[in-house]
Amino acid sequence: MRFVIIGNSAAGVAAVETLRRLGGFQHRITVVSDELTGAYSRCLLPDLVAGKSTEYSIRLRPAEFYRRLEVELLAGVAAVEVRPGEKRLVLQDGRELAYDRLLVVTGASPVLPAVPGVKAEEVFTLRTLRDARRLSALVPRVSGAVVVGGGLVGLKAAYALKQAGLAWVTVVVTSPRLLIRQLDERAAAMVERELLNAGIDFIYNARVKAFAAGPQGRLTGVELEDGRELPAGLAVVAKGVRPNSGLVEKAGGKVGQGIVVDGNMRTSLDDIYAAGDCIQVTDRLTGQKVNSALWTLAFEQGRYAAANMLGIARPYPAPLTRLNSARFGGVDVVSVGNLEGEEVLAQYDPLSRTYRRLVFDGERLAGFILAGKVDGAGVYTALVKSGRPAWAYRRQLLQGQVGSVSLGTLLEQGKKDLNRNCHINTAT
Amino acid sequence: MPKEVLIRYDRCLGCRSCQLACAVAHSSAGNLFGAVLNGEKPRTRIFVHQVGGYKAPLNCRHCQDAPCIDACIAGAMHKKGDGTVTNVGGEQQCTACWMCVMVCPYGIIRSDAEGTMALKCDRECRDETGIPACVRACPTGALVYDEVDDYSGRRRLDVLHRALSNV
Repeated sequence: MRFVIIGNSAAGVAAVETLRRLGGFQHRITVVSDELTGAYSRCLLPDLVAGKSTEYSIRLRPAEFYRRLEVELLAGVAAVEVRPGEKRLVLQDGRELAYDRLLVVTGASPVLPAVPGVKAEEVFTLRTLRDARRLSALVPRVSGAVVVGGGLVGLKAAYALKQAGLAWVTVVVTSPRLLIRQLDERAAAMVERELLNAGIDFIYNARVKAFAAGPQGRLTGVELEDGRELPAGLAVVAKGVRPNSGLVEKAGGKVGQGIVVDGNMRTSLDDIYAAGDCIQVTDRLTGQKVNSALWTLAFEQGRYAAANMLGIARPYPAPLTRLNSARFGGVDVVSVGNLEGEEVLAQYDPLSRTYRRLVFDGERLAGFILAGKVDGAGVYTALVKSGRPAWAYRRQLLQGQVGSVSLGTLLEQGKKDLNRNCHINTAT
Repeated sequence: MPKEVLIRYDRCLGCRSCQLACAVAHSSAGNLFGAVLNGEKPRTRIFVHQVGGYKAPLNCRHCQDAPCIDACIAGAMHKKGDGTVTNVGGEQQCTACWMCVMVCPYGIIRSDAEGTMALKCDRECRDETGIPACVRACPTGALVYDEVDDYSGRRRLDVLHRALSNV
């Protein structure tokens, strides 16, 4: 069988590995990527900008990965058209690839606000290695930057620019506080304090009106809607991403909040599968259709898609689509599931300097935030994911004493597995 | 079939010998006195917990489709040929993003003392006979390093049955 994969990031790499692990080496695998290099970690691009990592160290897999797994990598060439009727893929350079099963893992692209000057060369997004390289090259030549967006990518970018040596970095946030989709006020304040200490400024409740250019067309500053003007030599826009669903849509495939796939990662087109940031998933907690835009999900979906492509039916369970971990200076943050619910318990533990917030829907832990120290976070995540009654554990969870909770979970798991007559040494 | 550290729940007394042995085996001195004299604060990767009146150690289960491998943004967490899931000794470096900490359902991945990398059971503690330090140290035989074959599988289920009836 001939497998063609469009895209070479988390979902693509996971799919390749799984195709080989479960399907052996008798199938042909071709990976088409519009980027020039092998797979790398997008989440570590800020570290590259900060000078803490190198391009070598953020590679996702070793250089011999493709050779060892006997994968043909067509790098630096975009796929422009899918012809599901003929089972062919057309590349930018005119080449055509025949496939038996196609996997679309085209990822997502940053959203740019429709304001004047946004196309200026000094206005960046931070999504690709190319973005990071261009940004790094400009950093030594400017003294200040404006970051638009108070989400995870924006804050990581701001922190990285500061570490890279910029004299001042200002973050423009539309919301009244930062990380509004991940954190509550208390936790956000802890992150804010850490970033303020690092020398980053924040402007809240503000929107960008224009990116202003000087006589030579170079960026000189960022104008806000309230009339303020912030001088800046470069700007980074981090206002979220949009799924790259165009290829499938043009070919007649169904698209909602991303490419629509069934429980086996199949698109509405025959023999075409999709996974990662380009697809729509159903949130496990809310039941809402949302874009899947998380590294972890991309990786696991790549695995599921590959198994299904091999004909090993493996239904993909509805994922948690809010699942984030980040660290800013001395504050680690994990935020999973719903931010609000029927019952909210929160507590700051001054000893470990850790804030914990639990959201319950009835007996079920529907979400949580840990800020400060995040040891044991996975135990909370497992409770959110499984929906196992957790209210009885609320005291331990609030105090971060999750050991007994996880042991209890394991024993329960064992009990369940006893009926299925297998051992407890496998998770997920 | 790869060997696993199996837990015989009914035998654990909660003495934490496994914790100490694990921490020491992962210290750079390699023995308790050396570690203490060097001022090291070695960290354990196995944790004894209590549910009700019932105690048991918990360490990495080296899952089949390990969520920590999916979650690792650096590509550092990987599965070795012998089934060991580890973030050391591979091509990529752990960047301490705590994604693995966020998804490990057993809560057994922790930060190192400096907060620079994630620590977990890596089975780098095995002695010349291939026995992990925690298993070697357990005085009651609550920890067993063995293949999960049918026989021991049945025995573990039997043990679990009894264990659960006590919980």
